[in-house]
Amino acid sequence: MKIRSISFIRILVFSLILLSFTSATYAQTPTPDTSAITADQVNEVARGLWCPLCSGVRLDACELKACEQMKDMIAIKLAEGASEVEIREYFAEQYGPQVYGQPPTEGFNWLAWILPVLGLVGGGLFVWYGIRRMIRPQSASDPSGAETTGAQTAAQADDYSQKLEQELSRYD
Amino acid sequence: MTEMTETQTGPLPDLPSETAPVSKAVVIWRAIFVLVPLIFVIFLAMRLGTAKTEHRAEGLAPPLEFTTFEGETINLDDLRGQGVMVNFWASWCDPCREEAAMLESTWRREQGNGIIFLGLDYLDQEPAAKAYLAEYDITYPNGPDLRSQVARRYGIQGVPETFFIDPEGKIVDVIVGPITSQAQMDGFLAKIRPK
Amino acid sequence: MLFNIGYLILVTALVLSGAGVVFGFAGGQLRNQRLVESSFHAVYAVAGLVGIAAIMLWYGLLSDQFQLTYVWNHSERALPNFYKFSALWGGQAGSLLFWSLLLSLYSVAVAVFNRRRHQVLMPYVNAVMLGTSLFFLILLVFAANPFKQSTFIPADGQGLNPLLQNYWMVIHPVMLYLGYVGLAVPFAFAVGALISKRVGNEWVRTVRRWTLIPWMFLSAGILMGSQWAYMELGWGGYWAWDPVENASFLPWLTGTAFLHSIIIQEQRGVMKVWNVVLIWLTYFLVILGTFTTRSGVLESVHSFALSDVGPLFLGFMILIVFGFLWLLFKRLYLLKDEQSIDSYSSREAAFLGNNWLFASITFATLWGTFFPMFSEILTGERISVAAPFFNKVNGPLFLLLFLLMGIGPLLGWRRTGMKALRQQFTWPLIAGVVMGVLAIFLTPNPWPSVGLAICAFATATIVQEFVRGVIARRMTNNENVFVAMGSLMRRNGRRYGGYIVHLGMVMIAVAIIGNEFFQQTTNVTLAPGAKVELGGYELTYVGLENNRASNRTEIGARMIVHDSNGKMVGSLLPLRNLYDKTPDMPTSEVGLRMTLTEDVYVLLNGWENGGSTVTLTIFINPLTAWMWIGGLVLILGTLIASWPHPVKRTTNIPVGAAVAAAGD
Repeated sequence: MKIRSISFIRILVFSLILLSFTSATYAQTPTPDTSAITADQVNEVARGLWCPLCSGVRLDACELKACEQMKDMIAIKLAEGASEVEIREYFAEQYGPQVYGQPPTEGFNWLAWILPVLGLVGGGLFVWYGIRRMIRPQSASDPSGAETTGAQTAAQADDYSQKLEQELSRYD
Repeated sequence: MTEMTETQTGPLPDLPSETAPVSKAVVIWRAIFVLVPLIFVIFLAMRLGTAKTEHRAEGLAPPLEFTTFEGETINLDDLRGQGVMVNFWASWCDPCREEAAMLESTWRREQGNGIIFLGLDYLDQEPAAKAYLAEYDITYPNGPDLRSQVARRYGIQGVPETFFIDPEGKIVDVIVGPITSQAQMDGFLAKIRPK
Repeated sequence: MLFNIGYLILVTALVLSGAGVVFGFAGGQLRNQRLVESSFHAVYAVAGLVGIAAIMLWYGLLSDQFQLTYVWNHSERALPNFYKFSALWGGQAGSLLFWSLLLSLYSVAVAVFNRRRHQVLMPYVNAVMLGTSLFFLILLVFAANPFKQSTFIPADGQGLNPLLQNYWMVIHPVMLYLGYVGLAVPFAFAVGALISKRVGNEWVRTVRRWTLIPWMFLSAGILMGSQWAYMELGWGGYWAWDPVENASFLPWLTGTAFLHSIIIQEQRGVMKVWNVVLIWLTYFLVILGTFTTRSGVLESVHSFALSDVGPLFLGFMILIVFGFLWLLFKRLYLLKDEQSIDSYSSREAAFLGNNWLFASITFATLWGTFFPMFSEILTGERISVAAPFFNKVNGPLFLLLFLLMGIGPLLGWRRTGMKALRQQFTWPLIAGVVMGVLAIFLTPNPWPSVGLAICAFATATIVQEFVRGVIARRMTNNENVFVAMGSLMRRNGRRYGGYIVHLGMVMIAVAIIGNEFFQQTTNVTLAPGAKVELGGYELTYVGLENNRASNRTEIGARMIVHDSNGKMVGSLLPLRNLYDKTPDMPTSEVGLRMTLTEDVYVLLNGWENGGSTVTLTIFINPLTAWMWIGGLVLILGTLIASWPHPVKRTTNIPVGAAVAAAGD
């Protein structure tokens, strides 16, 4: 079913680079000499970038003409001595944070990272409390084996889990 | 949604019969169960809605401001009273090339007639874009659409895509794909020409 | 004319399935035998009608009836018959028809097998299955008619999407759909059990098998999709965490969680509510996945023609969510736990931990998949959530999950004493630590070392279980090793089949670690005779080869591979296919030399002057073959686990029973 997402892109007016090499040698703008930059160096950087026109296609694997141009740009930037981080920032400025392939850790996008952790910790606490309440008093045993992870997460209790705890006590 | 589903791993309160009063905690959990999917579905519906109506033909043109490759700042609001054609393009876009020469020749003809052409370069690299402009000798104002902000506001579906905005600032026509003939082009321009 | 009848058949099937829903629910409620009979008849009739409709569309495809818009859009005269046949599921309307076909076949199978066994449940099961059919028929009749005709007969079709013209793409959707569609069956049983208030253990046993089979197909479908991505997309990987892939992965996660937690319900009578919730979630995620891949909600910038199915899907999802919740709340009082959990060091606790992790992974994946949508609606900024996010978030969770997979089988039901713990854990722990130490020498990166250590630990657990089982049987029955193995599988298939599935999962994990952390790659441009070296291999470019097929030209770069000893080990031909109908969408087929230790993987990027130079991307992918071997092992294990077995089980097991049974 992967197919559909890809075909979407290609049905578009967007044109795909053809099999021949595009002779993208425009004479107008003076660009630094990129002959010393190898394709492997470019791909090293491209592996950390995502094609802004596609969904979930890594730049080094993208064959759209637009991606080829981005790779040419990487070569130019590398020839100018830019670092990988600088190049990534340059593209983010041009195309927006979508080139990172992950939500940037700022503003609203923090939620993307925090919520899974909250879900994990909250769920873990819940399971832990659930088991603890189920265990009969006479068989109180040491938490071991599978449950060490649950115990660890309990130690990181935060606001959220306190609320959860209150809820749980009412639940009784 | 983990919270919502995890709730059930714990033991359930004893409910002797169907009609027994439900405790407050259970009511809260039920509310979470209902609300989380509800919010999710509302978001999906919103997305489905915007995806459909994103294309705002026949509406007031969204704000448009950009800096041209020459460094000049252009704002759509300043162009009221003139008919404006906004063309989204990119140097990697082959169909864009089909209309490029015609756009430029029309621009040269209409320049003094109260009509303004604007070109927005979509997801492109400056060297390649400048080469493209030079290749077709394009003289009307063109600039990069940084972070695709304008493209998103206008909800374009791809490039090329052309918007015709009348002197009152209303979008009169939206053309997805290249404009194929001079006659077609003149037809659109007639609708936005100031009277 | 014929195809107008096809449309009428779909309309008839729609009416009949609507009637069948009513018959089923009413018959069950009123205990009216005639109505119940009618619901069975409706199931058979709908299957027959949808079957005829599918055959008609197949006929249309195979005989080039281009007046059908669907055929015109997804086929062409020169298309090989094999792909004409598979074009049935190559487009929106056809794949919805195919989906309905599989669904109605499942309905028939369920009706036939359970007619006697679950007399009280079956009317409701029929009703729910037919309700799902009804929804898909509504889509077919009102939003995506596969028999839509144009007023004239075009000379030739547009051709099938080139990416679909691949062996794996023919079989992968079939497997995936068989998995997807089949997951409606457990949902139907859950709804039936809740409505009829028969929430005891009988339906649970039936449902377990009806979940295992779709789960197996879904697993196979996902793996085949990965195989296709690996062979065709040419980036050296197999899984990109894109929304469409995630859509198939989400129900797999909840389905897997359910297959584990249902065991505790069977054995200990706990987690009843959670289990129905899991079934419901799985079904919901199936529908959600189908919706997201077809409505363009997640790729709206890319979607040219937003199809009309979106709002209908939304309505159906609302029905599933709120209808089920209403039913669940009404029946909550019936779903009381019979027993409780005695100890943290029990198998029950391990299963709970398993479900906690699966739920967390599901949530993280769901959240990540839909986050761009939330973000764009709320902030207006487009972001993409791809592999870096999912690897960071889900990677550690999967590590924990595999750790638990190793621990779980070592714990007995109810409680495991210290002595048993020591006895059980010694060898697996040693194996894990040894592997971890060895791996540290291999790479400074801690993640793969930890991963491999956990894999070794889990493998040792499984081996230990088998060894103990065999020893026990040899002692009691005096069997030789192979006979003992066989009888373990036969008499205790659920348990040992499950272990085999675990073994398959470990193999897949090893492949992922190898590909993710030890991949080498280079991009080169070569003239004929030129060589490139990578990872101990030497690849020589010989020349370009052309081959003309019925609807495409294949262009390949002949590569000779030598190993580090200078011995020739293979000749590869990475291909580019240029399709006549879509010359600007060349597909690629990598050249691959697969061995158990590593794959040599060559992608043809392009060429100049008929082959005077070619550009290639070469990957060395260690251990990747184990992903496909693991997939086969997984299927084998699932078959063993779902095979009917003679052993009767009790619900009340004495403390430490599992350990005792393993024979210490």
